[in-house]
Formats: sequence, structure tokens, C-alpha cells
Amino acid sequence: MTAKRVPYRFSVNDYDRLIEFGILTENSNVELIRGEIVSKMSIGDLHVQCVDILNRLLIRGVGDDAIISIQNPIRLSDSEPEPDVVVKAVSAKGKPSASDILLIIEVAESSLEYDREVKLPLYAENGIREFWIVNLIDGCLEVYRQPQSNGMYANMQTLRAGESINPLELPALTLPVALLL
Amino acid sequence: MTAKRVPYRFSVNDYERLIEVGILTENSNVELIRGEIVSKMPIGDPHIACVNRLTRLLVRAVGDEAITSIQNPIKLKDSEPEPDVVLLMPRMDDYANGKATLAEILLVIEVADTSLEYDREIKLALYAENGIREFWIVNLIDGCLEVYRQPNSDGTYAEMLALGGSETVEPLLLKSFVISVSSMF
Repeated sequence: MTAKRVPYRFSVNDYDRLIEFGILTENSNVELIRGEIVSKMSIGDLHVQCVDILNRLLIRGVGDDAIISIQNPIRLSDSEPEPDVVVKAVSAKGKPSASDILLIIEVAESSLEYDREVKLPLYAENGIREFWIVNLIDGCLEVYRQPQSNGMYANMQTLRAGESINPLELPALTLPVALLL
Repeated sequence: MTAKRVPYRFSVNDYERLIEVGILTENSNVELIRGEIVSKMPIGDPHIACVNRLTRLLVRAVGDEAITSIQNPIKLKDSEPEPDVVLLMPRMDDYANGKATLAEILLVIEVADTSLEYDREIKLALYAENGIREFWIVNLIDGCLEVYRQPNSDGTYAEMLALGGSETVEPLLLKSFVISVSSMF
């Protein structure tokens, strides 16, 4: 097969209308990526466990300084992805946009390539200031900072058990990497 | 890039609701292929001219035995493609009360220049699987008419003929009608 189907691209507004009209529901398990409505990957036990740990650590760690939003949509220019964890400003109402977002975290087991190749450029292009991939395959935390409009992050660090991390926008919070893996 | 995005698949009913509520319009220029909403390929002048010729030939040739429907959707199991030409059984309402379904479809024709691969690989398999009894590709690249008959549920046609300019063709389901291949080009 060499012939390609070119997917139709929905605007964020039309995507929201699909939800409003009930054509897409919570059970559809989709997200909008660059105008394409795509099915979300199925999630394994390790992934679930890691998101739960992050949720607990972050809620305890940030107190009232930020809101922890788990597997909820965010609104970008032509996309509504649903990151595993979003740390957003307390002032953000509803679906946050890039300027409301302090940190995005994806937990990657089977989704590692997808998170690096599809999600990362999307977040960088939209100016998400800090993006983490909890890489369960290699047992490390990938920290991306300084988003560029060409879809890259200028600064990338790989942290392992024994090290700790302070989010740029929440410098008072220290998370030992070992707790995440 | 090796990571793949898995497209969400819409049901035919949901697809029709998208049209009904105006999220998809005629200007969206899409069709539903196996649950995926895909953009239709842009059409070049030779393609337009061939569809115009076929329209004229077919309307004259079939008389009242069939309805010639041009670039309109048909309703299949998980798809609503918009073939270039469909010959339909006559129906009193001219299909005002619903799109044609399999039993009403006598012949599907695609005109292919840039879309040849797409028509042979994606459309052909879809039509065969759905039991479309006869499918033609007017192949503008090689200057021939490809005739496919005897659909199999595995997405192939058991019978395939490539007809050249001096030959004629009779649709299986419209016996009174003979058309010369050269008149299509």
C-alpha cells in the first residue's frame, strides 16, 4: 500500500462542538493533535501507577500555588491534547492555554516514541515552558526547557534515581527522581 | 518519524450528524473512508473533462433505466465515499429520502489521473468488500478502462479487464447499454 489517506483537520472550535453535540464523548478516548482526531493509546498498569504517584507528590508539593490536572485536555493553537499531568496556574479557568501552563508531564511506557516525536514538538511550538517525560523504559526523567518555535527544546537533561528536580516555575518544589520511577 | 497517530473512526451515523449540524459542509471536501474523515484529492482539468464526458454519455445511454449520480456520496458499511460517477436503480424519490445503499448501486466509476493508486488500493478494496458488483476505473494515465467484477469479501475483484480504445463495454446490470471505450477519452 502506497496510497495515502489525507486526514481532514478540525479546528479547535469544531472539535469542542463535536463534544458539545455529544458526537465525541469521554468514552471516545481521543485527543486533537494538529487538527486530527486521534485515538489515545491504551494505558498499562505501570503507567497508571506512575500517574497516581505524580498526582500525590505534586498535590502535596505545590499546595495552593498551582492546580494539578490529570489526563485533562489543554487548548493549543490547533490541538487539544490530554497530557498525563498538567500543572497550571491557579487563575486558569477551564481548559488551560499555553500561558496558563507551568509544567506538562507525560508518562511514557509504550508511548515513548509518540511522546518524543509527536507531543514534544507540539508542546515546544506552542511555547510550553517545561515538559517532562517520565521514561519508564529507560528508568529516567527527561526534562525539556526553553521551547523553540521550530518544535524543539533548546535545553534537555536526563535525570536518574539519586538526583532531584525543581520545576522552573515552582522552584520551591523538590522532587526526588527515584520516587517517580 | 516512526510514531503513528491512530485516527479516530467515526460511524456513518456520526458522520452524517457532523454534516447535519454544519461542522462539515460541502466546502469541507471530505469523504468517510473506513471511519476516517479524509480530504478528497484535488481534481485536475483532464479529470473534470472526463467526468463531464461520462456524464453526457451515460445520461444519454441509460435513459430511464438508471440515475446517473455525479460526485455524490454512497452509504457503505463504515464509509461514505463520493465516487466520480454512480449509476443507481431508478427510485421514485430520486434518493431524496436517503442515500443509495448497496442493492441500489449498479455501477461505480472513478476517473483516475493523480488518484490512480488511491483508486486501485483504497477505493477498489472498499468497493469489493462492500459487494459493489461492478467498478470501473477510467485510467487517464494509461488510456484504458479497467473493469472489475465479482467482488470478494477479502477486498479483491475476481474478474479484471483492461479495455483499450477500440473496444466496447456493457455494464453487467444494464444489458441494453453499450459504450465505446474511446468515447470516454
